[in-house]
This record gives sequence, C-alpha cells and structure tokens, in this order.
Amino acid sequence: MTWYAFIGALEQGLVYGIMVLGVYLTFRVLDFPDLTVDGSLPLGASVSAVAITNGVNPFLSLVLAALVGFAAGTVTALLNTKLKILHLLASILTMIALYSINIRIMDGPNISLLSVDTVLDPFMSMGMAGYAVAPVLYGCFAITITVAIIWFLHTELGQAMLATGSNPQMITSLGVDTHKIIILGVGLSNALVAVSGALVAQNQGASDVNMGIGTIIAGLASVILGETVFGRSGVARACIAVLLGSVLYRLAIALALGLKLGAFAFTPSDLNLITAILVVVALMAPSVKRRFGSARS
Amino acid sequence: MKKYISMLSIGLMVLMASMVQAQTFKVSVSQFVEHPALDAVLKGFQDNLKENGVAVAYNVHNAQANMATANQIGHQIMGEKPDLILAIATPTAQACAQAFKKSPHMQNTPMLFTAVTDPVGAGLVKDLNHPGANITGVSDMLPVNRHLMMVKTFLPQIKRMGFLYNAGEVNSKVLVPLFQAEAKKMGFEIVEAAISKSSDVYQATKSLVGKVDAVFIPTDNTVVSALESAIKVCEQNKLPLFNADVDSVKRGSVAAMGFDYYKHGLQTGELAQRILKGASPATTPVEFQEKLQLHINSRAAEKMGIAIPPELLEKADKVYQ
Amino acid sequence: MMIRLEKFTKYFHKGSVNQVLALDQIDLTVEKSDFITIIGSNGAGKSTLLNSLAGTHAPDSGRLLLGDKNIGQWPEHRRAKFISRVFQDPLMGTCATLTIEQNLSLALRRGKRRGFAMGVKSEDRQLFKSKLKHLGLGLEDRLGDSVGLLSGGQRQALTVLMATLIPPQVLLLDEHTAALDPKTARQILELTQNIITGQQLTTLMVTHNMRQALKMGNRLIMLHHGKIILDIQGEEKSKLNQEDLVARFYDRQEEEMLTDRMLLG
Repeated sequence: MTWYAFIGALEQGLVYGIMVLGVYLTFRVLDFPDLTVDGSLPLGASVSAVAITNGVNPFLSLVLAALVGFAAGTVTALLNTKLKILHLLASILTMIALYSINIRIMDGPNISLLSVDTVLDPFMSMGMAGYAVAPVLYGCFAITITVAIIWFLHTELGQAMLATGSNPQMITSLGVDTHKIIILGVGLSNALVAVSGALVAQNQGASDVNMGIGTIIAGLASVILGETVFGRSGVARACIAVLLGSVLYRLAIALALGLKLGAFAFTPSDLNLITAILVVVALMAPSVKRRFGSARS
Repeated sequence: MKKYISMLSIGLMVLMASMVQAQTFKVSVSQFVEHPALDAVLKGFQDNLKENGVAVAYNVHNAQANMATANQIGHQIMGEKPDLILAIATPTAQACAQAFKKSPHMQNTPMLFTAVTDPVGAGLVKDLNHPGANITGVSDMLPVNRHLMMVKTFLPQIKRMGFLYNAGEVNSKVLVPLFQAEAKKMGFEIVEAAISKSSDVYQATKSLVGKVDAVFIPTDNTVVSALESAIKVCEQNKLPLFNADVDSVKRGSVAAMGFDYYKHGLQTGELAQRILKGASPATTPVEFQEKLQLHINSRAAEKMGIAIPPELLEKADKVYQ
Repeated sequence: MMIRLEKFTKYFHKGSVNQVLALDQIDLTVEKSDFITIIGSNGAGKSTLLNSLAGTHAPDSGRLLLGDKNIGQWPEHRRAKFISRVFQDPLMGTCATLTIEQNLSLALRRGKRRGFAMGVKSEDRQLFKSKLKHLGLGLEDRLGDSVGLLSGGQRQALTVLMATLIPPQVLLLDEHTAALDPKTARQILELTQNIITGQQLTTLMVTHNMRQALKMGNRLIMLHHGKIILDIQGEEKSKLNQEDLVARFYDRQEEEMLTDRMLLG
C-alpha cells in the first residue's frame, strides 16, 4: 500500500466513520435496523451541494445537511411508531422516497463541486499540504462527534435511549415515552449520516444520487468489524471501536486495490471478493489471538 | 526463402523500433463499473496503444459501482505516480479530479476522461476547446439531431416519441432537454418515462404503450442492461424501438445511429498518444465521436411492424437478418 | 381513596370469533396504604387487572380514577409517574447492558423529565450504596458492574429497589417471585414486605400462592372469569385460613357451574 492509498483509506474511514456512528446508534443502541441511511447519505450530500453552489458557507451547509437528515430519520421513526409499520419496511420506504427527493433537490442526478470552495479549501489556501488536509480535518470532525456521542449516551436522555433499545418494557414503566426516544434516536442517526454524506461529497468533488448505494452494508460491516477487533464492552469503547472499524474496513479495500500476488493475477473485478476475504481475516484475528493466548497459558 | 528473410527483417525492424521507443509508460485506469460499453472503451484504448507500438504498463482499477471505492481508487492512483491517468465514466473522473487537489506532486500528470457525456457540467473542464488544466478527454455526447433524423426517416408521421431513461444517471438526464428541443424543431414531442432500477424497465415501457409512436433508449446503463424487457413489450405492441448504441440492435431493437464504444476507446487512445508525446491537456480540446455507425435489425423491424426505408438500408453499416 | 375502578371492562380480540371478556365490569376501590393480594385461577384476569392499572391496556368501557383524575386512556409511560411495577420475569425490570448504578439512576428519574444532565450523578452514589446495603447482597460494592452479570434473584431484588426508589402512589407486583427458587423467593418477599411497610405503600400483588396471599397484606381479592368473587379485609382476612379459602373458591365455582347447567338445561 502506498502512502497516498493509506492516507486515502484513512480519510475515507474517518468521514464514513461519522456515518458508521449513526448506524451504531440505530443498529446497536436502539436495536432498530435502519436502511434509511442509503437515502440520507446522498440527501446530506445533495443539500450541502445545492447550498454551496448557491453561495452558502460550506461549514453552514453541514448544519443544513444535519437538519434535513434528522427530518428523514424522523419520517422513518414516525412510520414505525405511529403507523405501526415494521422498522425495516418503514426505513426502506423512506429510502426509496429519498431517491426521488434527492434528484428533485439537485434538479438532476449529479452536482459537481470541483470548481467551488469546500470545507477543505480554507485549510488548503492556508498552505497545509493537500493530502493532509482531509484526514486531519475529517479526523477532527469524527473525533469531536465520537466524543459528543459518548457524552450524549451518558446523559439522562442517552441512558434512556440505551434502555429503550435493550429493554423497552422496563424503560416505559419508568416513565419514558419510547416513541419519542426512537424518533430522537433515528433522527440523530440520520443527521450524522447526512453530515457524513455532505463531507463525502465535498471530498469527492460531486454529489451523486447513486452515492448512497451500499452505505448500510459498509456501515454494518464497520460496526461489526470494529466491535469484534476492538471490543464492545461499554459505550465509550464501542463508539471508538466502530469508528476504528470504519478505518479498518477502508484499509481492507485499499489493501485489496494494491494487491498483486505473483502468478495468480487478480483482475480488477475481484475487488469486492478480496475485500470480503480481508474483512474475514480481520474478524478472525481476535479469536485466533485468544486461542493462541489460552494455549500458552 | 526470400519471404522468410523479408519477414525476419521486418521483425528485426519492429524490434529495433521498439528498442528505440524503449520507454514504457505507466497508465493508471479508474473504471466505474463492469459494463459492456465501458469494458469496450478500455479495450479500444489498450488496442490502439498496442497497435501503435506504445509500450504501456497498466494499473487497472474498477470501483464496482461504489462511489466510496472510486474515491479510494483516486488516492491509490496518486500513489502509483503514473505518466497518464484514464478515468472511465463521470463518477470516477470526478473522484480522480478531486484526488489531484490533494496531491501536489501530481498536478502536472495528465488525465484523460472518456465515456463522459457532459464534461463541463461535471466540472472536469472549464471550456470544451480550452480545458485549461491537466484534464481533457473524449465525450460521448450523442449527436441528438442525427438520432432524431434517423427516427424521422423511419416514421415520417411520428407525433410522439417515448424516451426511456434512468433519472439517476447524469449522462441520460442531460440529454432530456436536448432531445425535447431538437424534436420540437422536427415537429414531434418527447414523452419521458423515467426509471430508477433495471427491474422498472418492463413497467415503464408498458406505460408508454398507446401514448407514443416509437420508443427511444439513450446510452443509459440501467435501461440498456434490461433491454430485453423493453424489446418484449415493444414487439407485443408493434412499437418500434430505437437505441443510441449499436450493440442493442443485435439484441433486438430496430436500429441505432450508433455510438461504438470500442471506437470511442480507440479515439481516446489516439488522444493518449498525443498527450504522451508531450501535447498539453490544457490546450487540447475535448473530442467527440464524429463517425457514427448505422446498424439495422430487419427481423426486429418486422416484429415491431415497421418498414425499413430503402435509403437507410443502403447506408447501413450492418444489417441483422 | 387512592385508586378506583368503575365498571371497568376489557375485552381481548374484540369483535373477532376469539373474543374474550377479560375483565367484566369490575368495581374496586383501593384505599391509601391498602396492601391487596390478588388470587384466582389461570385466565381469571389477575394480570389483565394489573396491566390495566399500569396502562398496558385501555378499558373498553368504564373508568379508572386516580384521585379525581380519569387516567383510563393515559399511556403507560404517563402513568409511571404515579404507578410502578415489578414483573414476574427478573429480566424485565432491569437493563442488562447497563450497570447497577445506571439502572438505579434511570429509576431515580421515574416520571421526571430527562435532559442533558449526566445520567449517573456522583451525589446519588451514596444513596444507592445505602439502599443496596439494605438488600444484604453485597451489591453496594458493585455499582459499576453490568446488571447482566447478576443472578435472577439479585436482579429481582434490584428491580424491587428500583420500583420503590421514588415511593410510588401505587405499587404493582405481578407474581414477582414466581420465577425464583424457593429460598430466593422468600428473601425477595421479605424485602418487599419491609419496603412496603416502611414506606406505607399502596400495593396490589398478584400471586399464585394462597399462603402468601393470606399471610401478606390487609386485603384479599379473588378473581374468577373477569369478576371479583371475593373481597375480604381486616380482621375477617386475618382469621381466614387456607382451607376456608379453597372451600370458598370451589363454592363459587360450583355455584357458577350449577347456573350454567341450569341455563343449558
């Protein structure tokens, strides 16, 4: 792996890590499998792209993306809690609706951001090395958000959210309206995903309606990878683990991209297969370590 | 014997020529997805350079239709430090263009895009004639008037033509207003039918039945991948189906004033040769495919209830029976 | 009067062929500091009665009064401000993924607004420790342990503590020792009794165990087919023994079967 490929994987891991934290909130904390994210990632990107091309400050566009993402999550949560539609179906409905909505927002399937200023440009013009800006800036974003989520999950409200996912009957009988908590949680999750999408678009130079495809797969893979490799006991540890899981997942792809193994020539179309194998290897690492550890002792 | 000697000497000359041109260029390719048209572009590109004796070591990457991977490929390529970058399709071209911004050492490395319909709208070049930076390429923008003229020759009385496309594909979306404007000049209307995934094609084609006199499918990856379902509906309802790529004619549409993606790749290869010999992308205008091929499928025409005008049959580069 | 049911009626699967009349025009007035034990055969409506009080079901007709407020249509979480409950399943009343102190902190805010203050406040730890010490299970030194590590009995003791951490106006106990081994059950029951006496809590306790029903509380209710068929309290209850109770139960059943037979005949 070259230095640039490593830096690329790092920045992708960090920026998608914000999305992964959102997936962690629904999938793990609320026990609410939410596929809305495939739509809310490009939603955040679309809103941010339209805002920036209309002269809005790129940082401010992130706030707009978060608000709209929150709204999208709210729709899924309301469909589930008030209309009693199964969570999976509710989120699929929102996701497919967002496809059309995103095209409407952008008035087309793609908006180029190559010739406008993004959150990265102020730092580039300050003279920071181009390749370092994105990982450093996105690292700051990802770490700040991780800390904020760890803090939130320790507040009264956050504790109620954890309990809602783990034992809804108990927390209801302690006076918590679980519907409100689900709306808040799924909204928050999609706000994070939308912010991630906005940053991804600014990083890749375009917002595209199809950029959300496979988001939930990458999100779940990163959550599970992170938890398996770095542990999941305790909220703080789990949050850091899933962020690192996202980086690990992108490193696996970078490794697969750069792989050239002697006689057996991989073709570019083998990429997904190799990525999957590398992730399996990473998942096996902790159990192998444990087995060898226990054999010795 | 003489023959052998001459062959041997030719062989020696070729060998010497290749020794003179000892430099092997490194070319990194970022392709968005496995797709017959995009694969044909790459093949055409590689064949052109090979036939012209340009020695190239390739690093070919395929994002498998994933934007995040396309981004990572952009970074991967910056690390490979190639002499030329080839980006196939719009999303990968945008991702590579963005990766340049972060890699000062690559600012002067030329990049060619290909199979991009609207390079200005995609933000890849400022101006088609003066790209201005290290990026230029070949656009697959359809010559809209020639497509419509072909349809008009088939159906002089046409009032409405269905236009079947994926609203999520930027390459198709940019065509809609162009087709509408051009059709208006020729005195007929465009009826849009937009889909979002290939499984919608059947239903969308059916929705056009009774509303239009013919159906046109542009170079839309999603629709073309499910072409057979459109063909089926059109055959059942005697609705002539036209395409913008010649490969679809073989599969059963009436005709296409086509775009040959292999030739598109050859043209990109020509451009690459000039760039590798030192031409500056900043002053090399974006190219378009000039020579179009006319392919006609007479059996499909029969099934869809349309006669083939003799003047087109005469001009056709290929006629499937 | 603490809580009153008036002609409280609850159907299950109303309008379908499987319609069941679970509570049939129940009238019941619970006085402040009443400790009522509720018995009855399976399907008599004991749990439905408790669930109706807690808010799991709204009545099909009739009223539920808390003071002078009709709370019959209030959702469960809104009633939790006044009513707390302990379930039969020891896993239901605590959150396994959270720690002991986190669970207690959640209970400490029962019915209160939850905001962005820290969930576990350091000033509450002393209170938790002293309360846990009363359980005599050594949990006071394990505040940071995840509840998932505790045994069923320990979890149920914690649940009772959580349900009464803020004294509720009404405490509902739904066979809360039935899933425990006899020794643990006795300990939990003793703990419950102490807390109820100590805080003078108004309590409704469903039980399968007639001896428990007789020994505990000042009032006993027997349910049968969604109706209260026996309601005795005070001295009359303390004089009652198990044989009497069984006899009265079968009397009533006999009576009912006779009427059924007469009707059918």
